[in-house]
Amino acid sequence: MEADRPLFIPVILGTARMGRMSLHAARLVTEELGKCAGVETDLIDIAKLPLPTNDAGEAIKQADFSAKINKADALVVVSPEYNHGYSGLLKHVLDSCLKEYIHKAVGIVGVSAGPFGGTRVIQNLLPVMRELGLVTIFWDINFSSVQKVFNEDGSLLDESYIRRIDRFLKELIWMAKTPRQGRAQISLD
Amino acid sequence: MTAVAKTDKMICPTCRVEMNHHCDKLVYATDPQNAGQTDPNLGGFIEEFHACPKCGSGASRHA
Repeated sequence: MEADRPLFIPVILGTARMGRMSLHAARLVTEELGKCAGVETDLIDIAKLPLPTNDAGEAIKQADFSAKINKADALVVVSPEYNHGYSGLLKHVLDSCLKEYIHKAVGIVGVSAGPFGGTRVIQNLLPVMRELGLVTIFWDINFSSVQKVFNEDGSLLDESYIRRIDRFLKELIWMAKTPRQGRAQISLD
Repeated sequence: MTAVAKTDKMICPTCRVEMNHHCDKLVYATDPQNAGQTDPNLGGFIEEFHACPKCGSGASRHA
């Protein structure tokens, strides 16, 4: 039965910029997710996805990314805030799938150098998530002044983030389980 | 013609079991290939989404 299958919750790192501090945030969330019982995870770095840019949407679907999202029960999107928005590459990658996302939970992690922790990029991502058929969770993680949260080597300087991540993951796992049962068992017809 | 959900179940290509229809989306076709399938009442076509109760895999088809 599907309920016996472990949850698969990949983490999408939504930037390809050099020196991206979001990498540390994404690694930390992936690490914490990997400690959760009954959960498998993977860090998907969009910088490593070979997607063409001369077309868009499902026309450029990449098999490995599509398979991982199809297998996923929920997603984490880690996004830095660039001029209040998300990276163009993140949108390009997200738009390459559709059926793979429907009625799956997503938790969003905002990252910024300033004090607001990516709150504006999270707000901007919400309508995109909804249009992709994803279901957003209530708890976000906001990495404010990210340069003070991590060392250059990626080690965590502010341990308070562990508790915030724990709350986020508890809700995400609950939200991964609930629609999974609905997708598989409760029919529209 | 108004699009309605198909009654025949999709079959999971991996597990060979009937999939569960759990969502529809109205798609506004932009490519000529799908233009003929537009429901004039809706202005687009219905895409059905199904999930496998065994492996959880998703699939879709035009209604």
